[in-house]
Amino acid sequence: MLKHQSLTRRRLLKGAAAASAAVFAPPYLRHATAATPIKIGIPTVITGGYALLGSHIMRTCRLVKKQMDAKGGLIGHPIEFLYQDTQGDPAMCVRKCQELVERDNCRIFTGVVVSSEAAAMLPKLEQWNAMFISHGNGDGRLTAELFVPRFFRANTSAPMGARALALYLKDAPQKKFIAIASDAAWGRSSNAAFEEQIKKVGKELVDKIFAPVANKDYSPYITKILQSGAQGCYVALQGDEARAFYSQASQYGLSQRVQFFTEIVAQADIKVLGKEAIGLIGSSRYPITYDIPQNRAFVEAFRAEYKNDLPDWSDGEMYQALMILFAAIEKAGSPEPMKIVTAMEDLEVTSVKGPIKMRKCDHQGENQGFVVKVARTDKFPEPVGEIIKIYPRELTTPDCRSASYSN
Amino acid sequence: MTFLSFILAQCLSALSQAAILFFIACGLTLIFGIMRIVNFAHGVVFMLGAYAGYTAQMLTDSFVAALILAPVFVGVVGAAFEWVFLRHLYGRRDGGAYLLLTFGLAVVLSELIRIVWGTPPLSAGIPDALRGIVLILDQPFPLYRLFLIILGVASAIAVWQFLERTRAGLLIRAVSQNPEMVHALGTNVNLVRTGVFGFGCALAAVGGVLAAPLVTAFLGMGTTVVIDAFVIVIIGGMGSFLGSIIGSVLVAFVQVFGAYYFQDLALAFMYFLMLVVLVIRPGGLLGKEE
Repeated sequence: MLKHQSLTRRRLLKGAAAASAAVFAPPYLRHATAATPIKIGIPTVITGGYALLGSHIMRTCRLVKKQMDAKGGLIGHPIEFLYQDTQGDPAMCVRKCQELVERDNCRIFTGVVVSSEAAAMLPKLEQWNAMFISHGNGDGRLTAELFVPRFFRANTSAPMGARALALYLKDAPQKKFIAIASDAAWGRSSNAAFEEQIKKVGKELVDKIFAPVANKDYSPYITKILQSGAQGCYVALQGDEARAFYSQASQYGLSQRVQFFTEIVAQADIKVLGKEAIGLIGSSRYPITYDIPQNRAFVEAFRAEYKNDLPDWSDGEMYQALMILFAAIEKAGSPEPMKIVTAMEDLEVTSVKGPIKMRKCDHQGENQGFVVKVARTDKFPEPVGEIIKIYPRELTTPDCRSASYSN
Repeated sequence: MTFLSFILAQCLSALSQAAILFFIACGLTLIFGIMRIVNFAHGVVFMLGAYAGYTAQMLTDSFVAALILAPVFVGVVGAAFEWVFLRHLYGRRDGGAYLLLTFGLAVVLSELIRIVWGTPPLSAGIPDALRGIVLILDQPFPLYRLFLIILGVASAIAVWQFLERTRAGLLIRAVSQNPEMVHALGTNVNLVRTGVFGFGCALAAVGGVLAAPLVTAFLGMGTTVVIDAFVIVIIGGMGSFLGSIIGSVLVAFVQVFGAYYFQDLALAFMYFLMLVVLVIRPGGLLGKEE
């Protein structure tokens, strides 16, 4: 039997007092619940072989945080990046993400460097009730046979980079090619895509070389390239491996005999290699010279913040991934992972790389394909990749849930 | 390209790689031979040599100066570490303390390098006098790699002569065999150990300076090379100077020819070689079984 609740004078006064407190309370008290930060986990490489890429990711996140703080946050919440060092090890990456989920209630991840780390995270996303947007993981399988609904890839994948380059090579004078790739998930994926694409455009791949990860001495492979009779060499190496290869190749005078084409043109490599990088042609995941308002603004803000540096491909891709993530959060009106996932599907954004659509069927970002040639320009203090060709995203994005192309 | 020119060029490539490996492995084996310490920081010392060499070359505009200054600097750092930390552990039966201490040095040094030089890779490039190629029959071969071979051979002879014909070398060999007797004869054994540790680090630093034009100076560059150095020392025999030379040459040849003919198994060949040697001679080719 219910007690009869009558509206007494005491109850009325209590209610009025509470309502007044809510309306007239100091802003910092009213803002307390709205100020809960949106936590974004960045399990990246801070120490170890890929620390350079990790440092790029973190500096771009710091720039973005500064910009978002100036705007008053995202849907009324400040952004908070939580950095963890994975050392490029998949098991360590999963462990660090687990810690972020359990300790910090962090459910959004990005900034993972190595594709094998990303692959290790995918099966855990459901258990963590988290979502993950890749900024730079290139392995084609991540949106193909390894696809999970809570994963998105904003960046150009390895097959997409190889595709853009192969389209360019269709009209190139070179007929015979040889490929050298890192014997890792990304390298093999990139090489497989290049091999498929170069044959489609009527060229010949005479041999393919897989160099062990962290290889130091490229002399046996350079000898193979010299012996092969190839006119072009596709290079799917990055970071320290790429620099070692190009340094040693230049000592053999290889670039005078063979034209190099690469899947990733990295500003850090160009800076170290100097004149040895001039003339290198490659697919660019982020071309600093792309002349659209969004990219000009990004480059300007980046150079103002980091005076001695130019944004590298990993900076541009990280920035794009965050802009897409924030657009999805705004659309969802919430930082809840599955709401972000729903909002991100088929989301169209114009970012620093131009228009991009997060395709619903496999969550691959449809990116344009850029082919660049490294050259000196008046606009920048060091050589950069100047755009020589842009391919529409319809041509460069693979078939749904695949790393291949039927067209 | 004829088969002869190809084989010759590959052999020379292997010898140039062996030269760099020799500097690292020789330092490691000397330290173990005298002090019975496995220096886990040796790879990071090699890396420090590469970075110090870069700075020296940028300041002096001279590769030769870098080859002298960087090893001296790293040798002093190594000697200081031995003086301040390691010598307090001598006499302990438990070898774990040395492993932990040198591992700690590796971690601290790595971070210091990252803080001082930053994360971007660095390269001062090859000096102009060593740029270009020579033709080995009809095969191009970098002048710089020929320089590595010549310097490696000359250094190996110099170190060998130092150990065999000088009083300091005699003391080092004596300390490695019977430190108590040497001490009883009035020699400051601690000073010998400090000197050897510093010298071993300096040799690794030479390797770093020489490797930088090939691979650039980058964080983590010592990780794989120290594994190679350990394999070489095990193959050649712990504490054997001549063993470190033979081991360096064997490992380099296996790596170069293995990478060319069996690229998928290239990494495994080095360990297979180590396995075969250990089965036939558990102490290494020229080492002593203990």
